[in-house]
Amino acid sequence: MAQWEEEIERNFRRMKNLAGMIMDPREPRTGQTPRQEIHRKNKSRLYRYESLRTFRTPVMFVPNLGISRPYIFDLLPGSSFIEHMTRQGFDFYLLDWGVFGPEDNGLTVEDCVTKILPRMADKVLESSGARELSVLGYCMGAPLSAAFIAAYPEVPVRSFTNMAGPIDFSKVGLFGLWLDKKYFNVDRFVDTLGAIPADMVKAGFKLLKPTMDLSTNLNLWWNLWNDKYVEGFSALNRWANEYVAFPGEFFRQWVRDFYQDNKLYRGELRLGGRPVRLSAIRCPVFVVGASEDYIAPPACVRALVDAVSSRDKEYVELPGGHISLIAGRGAAMHCWPKVSGWLAPRSD
Amino acid sequence: MVDTSQQLFDLWKKQFEDGAQAWARVLSESPAAAAPPDPAAFWRPVIEQWVQGWARVFAQAPISPDATSQWKQFLDQSIDAWSRALGQAMNTDAFAQMLGRYLDQWLVAYGPAKKASDQSLETALQTFNIPSRAQVTAVARQIVELDERVERLEEGVNALLRRLDEVGRGLGSPPVAAGPRSQPRERA
Repeated sequence: MAQWEEEIERNFRRMKNLAGMIMDPREPRTGQTPRQEIHRKNKSRLYRYESLRTFRTPVMFVPNLGISRPYIFDLLPGSSFIEHMTRQGFDFYLLDWGVFGPEDNGLTVEDCVTKILPRMADKVLESSGARELSVLGYCMGAPLSAAFIAAYPEVPVRSFTNMAGPIDFSKVGLFGLWLDKKYFNVDRFVDTLGAIPADMVKAGFKLLKPTMDLSTNLNLWWNLWNDKYVEGFSALNRWANEYVAFPGEFFRQWVRDFYQDNKLYRGELRLGGRPVRLSAIRCPVFVVGASEDYIAPPACVRALVDAVSSRDKEYVELPGGHISLIAGRGAAMHCWPKVSGWLAPRSD
Repeated sequence: MVDTSQQLFDLWKKQFEDGAQAWARVLSESPAAAAPPDPAAFWRPVIEQWVQGWARVFAQAPISPDATSQWKQFLDQSIDAWSRALGQAMNTDAFAQMLGRYLDQWLVAYGPAKKASDQSLETALQTFNIPSRAQVTAVARQIVELDERVERLEEGVNALLRRLDEVGRGLGSPPVAAGPRSQPRERA
């Protein structure tokens, strides 16, 4: 009987929350950790977050370019990776690549690695007054950061953390197959479209997991009685449906050099006239893969450990997928403490 | 109730996985060799299994709130099975080839249409003496280039100031500050 009562009560709450979501949809307040804009370069912004700054070495966080907005890393108070890192005492900097327009279609991977990242690293050092910085790359931000560290050995990088960033693109799964030279003509694609529109990016990611929306909505209905879940869902759902376009030339170089030719892993990449060899990375390296990641499967992420020359290197594979590695309850339990725990002794 | 339901779920799970695997095989076959798709035939076995399964649950056990969680579990497993099956089907050369062909065909149709629409829009805007998208983009691109030049100049000035500092320190004079281009701003 008590079970019935509980179930009926939950159904009432479900209906109430559903009505609230439809009749009074509230914009979730994401990105609440206080921050300052330190530097801007075209659309890119470098933010410094308020923290106790217990550790001397600042952390420069490099997320993906295009695809999605970076507020996923500071979603809501209590479920924010940035909030976690600042509470641990890290001097935390976020590079927001920005939302690109048609005027940015000429931006390339080379520009990002040889013009934007070195300048942002300079600004981190200048603003923190530190001699070294740690680099933390997530998703596409990890191979871009790895290329930057490998091409600029003179930049004082104390450590590098790769969170779910593909390195060996021969093991990158479905996207690797679909973007194969045999089937996908990247030149025709970019020449026709100019930029890769946000809707196209969205379609690609939706196709990667066609049942995702179904299971998301089913889970929403199941947890609709739970106000806390609904709040988190609204924020995450807003983020998950806000896609960002790719600049055309960036997409061309990204697909050709990384997905199709796997130049980064093979050591054949040259950016700004500099060779990019992962073996040139000698700083401590921490690699985090997610066991159910279908965007960057663990094997392609793990490859960094074998490619670098660092003595201090470690790989961990955590439960979850590409997003749940960095956001949500699982991330707070597994990933965030692992990353901050590994970085702490390497941040003095 | 729980044991009976569990047995039924195991049965359903197996049936769904078998069905999904069969579908994966069908999808991964060459499209040229396949017969025209029949959407009704695709869903029929799934719906039949669904209805039969539920009929068995209602026939064998009394309804309780527990059935709701079992139902959720069943749906989760079904979605998971379908997801795996679709994943397998899409992880084939045949699918990649089909997708590539579809994109190519779409680009062939979309490219000229976009060009024509852009041209007519530009002509219309010119008629009304309004700047076109291409002109606005060109101005924006010039601003981006200007920003890049200013940045390079700033770098040069900062390098010179640092040199001056070093020289000044050698001569015992006070340092010249080589500050950042912009003061930190509070976020909007």
